[in-house]
Amino acid sequence: MGYEFDFGALAQYLGLFLEGAAVTLGLTVVSSFFGIGLGIWGAAVACGKRDWARKLIAAYVELIRNTPFIVQMFFLFFALPSLGYRFSALQAAALAMTLNLAAYAIEILRAGMQAVPAGQSEAGRGMGMRPLLVFGLIVLPQALANVYPALVGQITITMLESAVVSQIAVVDLTHVADFIQSRNFRSFETYLVVTLIYLVLAVLMRRMLVLGGSKLFLGRDP
Amino acid sequence: MNDFTNWDILRNLLLAVPWTVLLSAIAFAGGGIVGLILLVIGIGRRKWARRAVDLYVELFQSTPLLMQLFLVYFGLPMLGVDVSAWLAASVCLTAYSSAFLTGIWRGCVDAVPKGQWDGSASLGLSYLAQLRLVILPQAARMAIPPTVGFLVQLVKSTALASIVGYHELTKTAQILTNATFQPFIIFGLVALIYFVLCYPLTKLSRVLEVKLARSDR
Amino acid sequence: MRLLSTRRLALLAGMAFAMSVQGIGFVQADELDDIVKAGVLKVGIFEDFPPFSSAGTDLKSQGYDIDVINALAKGLGVTAEVTGITGQNRIPSLTAHKLNLLVSVGVSDERKKVVAFTAPYAPYSIDVVGPKALSVTGPADLAGKTVAVNRGTLEDTSLTEVAPASTDIQRYSDYNGVISAFLSGQAQLMVVGNDVGASVLAKQPALEPESKFQLLNSPSALAINQGEERLLAKIDEILSTMKTDGTLDAISRKWLFIPLPAEL
Repeated sequence: MGYEFDFGALAQYLGLFLEGAAVTLGLTVVSSFFGIGLGIWGAAVACGKRDWARKLIAAYVELIRNTPFIVQMFFLFFALPSLGYRFSALQAAALAMTLNLAAYAIEILRAGMQAVPAGQSEAGRGMGMRPLLVFGLIVLPQALANVYPALVGQITITMLESAVVSQIAVVDLTHVADFIQSRNFRSFETYLVVTLIYLVLAVLMRRMLVLGGSKLFLGRDP
Repeated sequence: MNDFTNWDILRNLLLAVPWTVLLSAIAFAGGGIVGLILLVIGIGRRKWARRAVDLYVELFQSTPLLMQLFLVYFGLPMLGVDVSAWLAASVCLTAYSSAFLTGIWRGCVDAVPKGQWDGSASLGLSYLAQLRLVILPQAARMAIPPTVGFLVQLVKSTALASIVGYHELTKTAQILTNATFQPFIIFGLVALIYFVLCYPLTKLSRVLEVKLARSDR
Repeated sequence: MRLLSTRRLALLAGMAFAMSVQGIGFVQADELDDIVKAGVLKVGIFEDFPPFSSAGTDLKSQGYDIDVINALAKGLGVTAEVTGITGQNRIPSLTAHKLNLLVSVGVSDERKKVVAFTAPYAPYSIDVVGPKALSVTGPADLAGKTVAVNRGTLEDTSLTEVAPASTDIQRYSDYNGVISAFLSGQAQLMVVGNDVGASVLAKQPALEPESKFQLLNSPSALAINQGEERLLAKIDEILSTMKTDGTLDAISRKWLFIPLPAEL
């Protein structure tokens, strides 16, 4: 059975593809920023002294890591409104991605922090630095340098998993693909092109982040 | 027309669990076999083979699983293969898991200290014997925790099969939500069920990691 | 006798003609034969499209479409095998021959380019549905509101055509998503068949969903692959019998609570 490919039919949708890619990237950037921020805070708590706080963080991390992202997203978007919390599709998507990334970031950063020799923070405190400064200026940078590749990997994973937000009608790259092929019925060509766009985005993003990392952590192996 | 009790909800959700488990098992087993083949090809001495496997792994790790699923679901029919949602999900997840597993395993093989290769070579072992008797056993021990960890990822990934219509746990949840409109209870239960499926594996992976690290001393 | 005598020539010509006619017969084994031979009619249905097809408490599909499908299968002497599809993948699934038949398909010129339609078999109009409290009387009132619709369906295309630019159209991959969005309040309005709206009303009276205005009156037809003349004729024949002997009317009363409209 022959099938005639027609990639030309997609040319008119270039603008839409770009818009979709912009939404995907935008969501990734926002969720990376807040997710890693949350991750730093959570990891600090997880390395801290308060038992109940450590357990709470651990429970949160395990909950996120042992349930599918799509279920987390559906819960935020479809289930929370029945409790009175209604997020828009974009908000739900960003929130789900942030919370998801944060859980993994906590684990990654915790390992990174524990790998910083205790002597470092001891020396800092010995010099009279306040704990917060010790954390921010001494422990955190070294922790970040330790686990930077893992963080980059997790950000990439988050971007690729974001394809799923199309299911709650966020107009991301995948949703654009769904829309286009629902109009011209060229499903294979459309999905192939979009897959290639994701591939390019992922590879470029990883390269740029690694390059940025080597600049940030001069003198260390990122 | 349809009156679901809470028990009906739980019952229908639990009935969907075997389908999730089945898909995960098939993908893990199939992916394991293909991954093993790719591993052997990839650690060979031919550069082009190594690069080809690298490319394969990179492709799967740099594209969304959802896109891979759509491509299989809409692409295979072009080759004349009749594809049900079940078949598409199985093929796709098998390929996906083969790429990740071979990536993990190759990393473990590469992590075996160079000294092991040198030592076994000086004992006069052939390449294959080196692999079989010295390198692979050590790599295998290292590989167990991340492999079990990946199984968790695989079980979670089966949720995407719902998007092409495969009736596993997540799809059933969506159908039930609209039949009953209790999204909080239903998605809450679904999250719980996935947790019960995945957490033991996560825990196992961690226990194994500690055990194996300890036995190295 | 010469080699190519008239008699021999006539004989050769006759053989050639007979062979070519038979050749046409061999080449055109069509879908109707395939279905009968396999003993199975593969049909694509929406899984969450009451009262045409939706899940019963045992999660098996039931509804107007299911009854029609079973009657068709009986008429063809085969068993029916239903598969859940979505608005956007059902036509590609049909043209890829994963399925023989689609139900609840709205007739449109764009679709006629890709599939073949039987006679209409079910009444269907597309309405904008919303809570009683929300005041919407026509397309212009959609401005600035959120509307959920099933991507790739006739509802999608007709809504896109008339909705003002400031309408936030949320396109979901199946009716599941549309209804979930409406019931959870994520979308203020939804565009669905009037029957879907009615069954949602039956389950969620608190929301008081009602039909705001009709977008399109579009009786549903069945869709099959183009070029299958014999299959089309056979299905139309069965449908016509169902209309005259009252079977279709009974199905209509059972699921839609109305007698079969005269126009069908």
